[in-house]
Amino acid sequence: MRSALLALAVSAALAAPASAQTLNVATAGDQNMVDYIKDYLGPLFEKSHPGVKVVAVGTGPGDSGSQKIFEKLSAQKAANAPAWDFDVVVIHQKMAGDMAKDALLAKYRGDIPTGKLVTRDTAENSLGADVSGYVMPMFHSQTAIAYNADMVKDVPNSYPELAAWAKAHPKQFGYNGIKGGMSGVAFVAGWIYAFGQDGDKLLKGPYDASAKAGWDKALADLKEFNKNVVITPGNAGTLDMLNRGEIAMGPVWVDMFYTWQADGKLPPNMKLKLVAPGMPGQPMYYAVPAKAAQKKLAEDFIALATSPEVQAQGIVKKFNWYPGIDAQNLEGKLDKADWNKLFTDITPADLSSKGKPFPIAPYFNDILESYEKKVAN
Amino acid sequence: MTDSRFLALGLVAPALALVAALFLYPLGFSLVTAFTHEGVLSLANFGKAFDLYSVDILYTLFIVLLAGALTAVAAVAIAGVLTLGETPWLVGALRALYRWPLFIPFIVAGQCMRTFLAKNGLMNNSFVAMGLLDPLQTASLLDWRGIVITFVWKQAPFVTLLLAGAMASLDRATIEAGRNLGAGRLRVLVEIVLPQVMPTLLVALVLSFVTTMSVLSVPMMVAGSQPTMLTVDMAFRINAYGDYPVANALGVISYAITGLAAWFYLRQSIRKEAAA
Repeated sequence: MRSALLALAVSAALAAPASAQTLNVATAGDQNMVDYIKDYLGPLFEKSHPGVKVVAVGTGPGDSGSQKIFEKLSAQKAANAPAWDFDVVVIHQKMAGDMAKDALLAKYRGDIPTGKLVTRDTAENSLGADVSGYVMPMFHSQTAIAYNADMVKDVPNSYPELAAWAKAHPKQFGYNGIKGGMSGVAFVAGWIYAFGQDGDKLLKGPYDASAKAGWDKALADLKEFNKNVVITPGNAGTLDMLNRGEIAMGPVWVDMFYTWQADGKLPPNMKLKLVAPGMPGQPMYYAVPAKAAQKKLAEDFIALATSPEVQAQGIVKKFNWYPGIDAQNLEGKLDKADWNKLFTDITPADLSSKGKPFPIAPYFNDILESYEKKVAN
Repeated sequence: MTDSRFLALGLVAPALALVAALFLYPLGFSLVTAFTHEGVLSLANFGKAFDLYSVDILYTLFIVLLAGALTAVAAVAIAGVLTLGETPWLVGALRALYRWPLFIPFIVAGQCMRTFLAKNGLMNNSFVAMGLLDPLQTASLLDWRGIVITFVWKQAPFVTLLLAGAMASLDRATIEAGRNLGAGRLRVLVEIVLPQVMPTLLVALVLSFVTTMSVLSVPMMVAGSQPTMLTVDMAFRINAYGDYPVANALGVISYAITGLAAWFYLRQSIRKEAAA
């Protein structure tokens, strides 16, 4: 009798949440992405949709996080599952193209009211793959060189000047290679833009498998450059070493930089510089899996997430990202001071001339593999 | 076959099925992927693995062997004090303390070392505060040394645990005979105790070797990525390129290295059984 009661209680406990609706959000990226959904966006959505529970899952930083989402969805597709486990996914650029091509995503941008608030190229084209309709940019982020203004007087303006500076100041420049997060990858991509041939073709295509032969000199120089620099453990590793004064300069994500500085984890004398010809940045995308169990709720969630208010208060003010939707839509939703904070060291003009995308996917892989072969090994 | 044989088979079957499904099948699958390129049997994945990661393979071997050697030294020292020590409070304190790192996961150890071993980290700052070092003399240990230090710190207690057990079960008469004839404790340790527990030490080191080969978090967190250990390369192969074949080829190279260690282990344990 007692066990029957217990079973009843257990099944009641299990059934209760099922009667309410659950929205499963899987997000790739650093911990700040999970925090954003869990602490900010999720509660906001639950307030406007009573009875809905938002469950956020982080799948890990860098492209590996997106890879895990891809593998889960593609396994459920292969198994002909009627409804997939994720309702909203937040993914990186490289994987978005693959997922759209493999029919893992729903075309939803036209169905939500905020769909027309973004006109940037990144909403249509993801590293050379056509993703129009499948994604909404959550935010844009940018890499730049952070430096300690007390230790660096002659701030380099370009990659050649930076290389010369690192040579003159051994072990004062640090970056995380290509296996410890995207800020190092971005630095290497920027190096190829600066010293490889045909930088423009890397961004626009068409892909030419023989192009990598033109990078030999650039990579040999990078190997030489590496002898005078510190290889740090990860994106946060670079910031840690900057904070402790162990290095004076290194590539970082702009949003992480501002967040760390606001938290007092970086000294106030740290500054940012976007060096010529430019360094890459990238958006993160909101997408809806093709067989999401809660497609309608998922669309509502993304509509809220890309509304001007949330983009202003959450993305820009709280987390220091550049907005995903076009900037003019945020006018009036944000204090001038909060907006200007994003452009303290890097002006909008710098950003438009030197903020580059990552190379198209096949070149991207070629750059990473050439680096492994010619620089790291 | 009798009924009891069937019953026995039936009892073993779930365990066997589990091993087959969760170990043999993935192992076979990864072997097949490693040796297949564009649908045909080939060594292309291994060619690429050596082309890109030959330095990392040597680096991995260097790290695990060095960590193993230092672990052995530390374990022999601790177990020796526990067995031959004559200062009760020292032996007691050591016995209570040495096992602690066993309960700390690798990733937590990596996280602690990251701030402890940095150039301006806790260790160097303490040395500077004690007046042992000038701030300008400090150096960061967050490279291969950091990985080795973390591995030794984490693995020495495990090896010590097995070794101290073996030493405790030795016939004390041999030790006392040596002491009575005037041998120092160090000499007793090296010439009488150690030869008798050598098989246990080697087995413990082999197990520790296999563990350190497979750790991903420590090389990732403690040191930069050039060069790095094979586990990091495997993760990168999958995460950056979705390239399972070359990752599996690297995996097979790891099996081959740990396979050698396992062969050594089996040979030791067979010898021990034959001797018993």
